[in-house]
Amino acid sequence: MLESLTNLWADLQGRLLEIVQPLIHRFGLTEFYDDVPAGLETLTLGILQIAVILLIFRPLESLAPAQRWENRKLVRVDVVYTLLNKLGIIPLAIFLILLPLNDELMEFTRTVGFVLPTVEQIIPWLRDKPLLLFLVYFLLYDLAGYIWHRAQHGLPWLWALHSLHHSQRQVSTWTDDRNHVLDDLLFDIYLAIVAILIGVQPGQFVAILLLGRLIEAFSHVNTRFGFGRVLDKVLVDPMFHRTHHALANPAEPHIHDTNFSAVFPIWDIIFRTAHYDYKQRDSGVDDPVADADNGKGFIGQQIAGLVRLGRAIARSFSSRSARPTPAE
Amino acid sequence: MSCARWASLVAGALTSAALFAMPVQALPETAIVLNSDEASMSVVDRQSMTEIERIPVGREPHHLILTPDGKDLVVASTVTNELLFLDPVTARERKRVRNIVDPYQLGYSPDGKWFVTAAYRLNHVDIYEAKDLRLVKRLPLHSLPSHLTFSADSNFVYFTVQGSNQVAALDLVKQEIVWTIDVGEAPAGIHVFPDQKRLLVGLTGEDAAVVVDLATRGVSKRIVTGKGAHNIFKMPADDKRVLITNRVEGSMSIIDLEKLEVVDTIKVAGGPDDVDFSPDGKIAWVTQRWRRRVAAVELSTRRILGTVLVGRSPHGIYINGPHTVSRSVLPPPERSDATAATKR
Ligand SMILES: [Zn+2]
Repeated sequence: MLESLTNLWADLQGRLLEIVQPLIHRFGLTEFYDDVPAGLETLTLGILQIAVILLIFRPLESLAPAQRWENRKLVRVDVVYTLLNKLGIIPLAIFLILLPLNDELMEFTRTVGFVLPTVEQIIPWLRDKPLLLFLVYFLLYDLAGYIWHRAQHGLPWLWALHSLHHSQRQVSTWTDDRNHVLDDLLFDIYLAIVAILIGVQPGQFVAILLLGRLIEAFSHVNTRFGFGRVLDKVLVDPMFHRTHHALANPAEPHIHDTNFSAVFPIWDIIFRTAHYDYKQRDSGVDDPVADADNGKGFIGQQIAGLVRLGRAIARSFSSRSARPTPAE
Repeated sequence: MSCARWASLVAGALTSAALFAMPVQALPETAIVLNSDEASMSVVDRQSMTEIERIPVGREPHHLILTPDGKDLVVASTVTNELLFLDPVTARERKRVRNIVDPYQLGYSPDGKWFVTAAYRLNHVDIYEAKDLRLVKRLPLHSLPSHLTFSADSNFVYFTVQGSNQVAALDLVKQEIVWTIDVGEAPAGIHVFPDQKRLLVGLTGEDAAVVVDLATRGVSKRIVTGKGAHNIFKMPADDKRVLITNRVEGSMSIIDLEKLEVVDTIKVAGGPDDVDFSPDGKIAWVTQRWRRRVAAVELSTRRILGTVLVGRSPHGIYINGPHTVSRSVLPPPERSDATAATKR
């Protein structure tokens, strides 16, 4: 099954490239030959995900909603985020911005010849157990994501950007991609560094790749449907992630500082940030400034995020200068 | 958090590992294929046309070459800066050499003295002592030095410099770049004519190969082949004809080096890149980089006998046998003499 899927996918990519590469050739962009396949694959995967969202996740929101909304007005802007991301527009912009940095990074790693041992070198036993090895890598990257997500909530200037993701009162399957573009960019830089440390190569288990991405879109679905009390300790489901999006209140001021994991709840369980109480709560942020994102469009939210970032940075400087010097 | 993007990377990472199938078996009827977008090589059974094994190697392996004695196959991983020495028949690892910086293209001088690499991404070329792989000289070559070939007397290495549309000549005696000339858009494959007086250069940014006259250091002829003209290989047991892959066109052209014209064209889709020939010289095995496959093409009928799914972006390919293009030393002298005789 897996092989025929890989086959199908490889042929689809091949055929698309046979259409796109001649255009690249015609416009004299030969230096991008090697980048086109990855870009095209990202785009096709994005289209596939949008199809799954429309055909499965959206119906689920209508059939078994967790929260009932009078209308879905606030959701619309998240659809824009999803399209801009999954159709490759924001990723392409970030790719072009990071191109010089990426070259530097690549030049550095190649010059040094980074040969950090890979997982299968450390544990050769895993070599002939591809699925298990896959799982180990998947867990490691999920851990890296978990750490970043903790930082997003713990560092005021990162929270200034990430609060845009949390400000949504109507969390839906489209909310997954609602992030400040600068937040995406910083995360990509972080990820590039992680990739050097852990090692990463494009693979061919597209079926599993899709699964990973879809779990995250699924975790934002506005639905009562979950994986059940055993499986929801294994994989993140909507109930689990909904708690992370909960609106903080005087009784639970840090309710949103739980359930950080994107795919595997094990990291929250290990680091004691997991919160399973199966209570439905309202979503959003208890900060009126960030809450004002609701009702704004894409551009408005991006500007608001930058303003918040500016203030957070200014605050950190003023609080530092206000501190008494250690000599006194 | 921005999950979608990282998840794709994650999942990708993981797959690296995937598919290391089946225990090892020495099968002579194989082709070794480098999956350049991964850290693996595929061993393909040419009889059953299936991938029988996927062996982990360093990251982003692109090209390979036989040692001068023909006893080892050298696989170069560009990101992890390592050379893997394999048994060319069984593909078993014999040794690993580290600290060979960005070994994209590689070759041994015909006299077996030097080992030369082109660091495509780092814009330099390296000369190593062949016997112990000690770095002797590093020369900057801007930008994107991509393919290389040696003169028969081992005095020169000719490089295509893809980013600056040039061909550069490295004098191995003086150990310096002695000249560079403009040849056209994105030059790639490079081949020395049997008379040692001219070079044939594939222009990937165009649809042609050009002949460079070494005496005048100028382009003397342009041969239209197909869009994305790329790498060039000597035909089996035939010094007078070469095969050139046209990556964008999805074809291979056979060029007669005496008539300086295309004498045959074979359709192979999917960005055909590198080629090696079966031991009987009748079948060309071609890496289809965009389709993750290798194709077996019967030269006499121009028919594709079959394709085999391998890893991502398959690039270098090796078939153990007398017609492999990965041999670093010259063909036996009697054959060169014969060529000279027919010329006269
Ligand atoms: Zn969060």
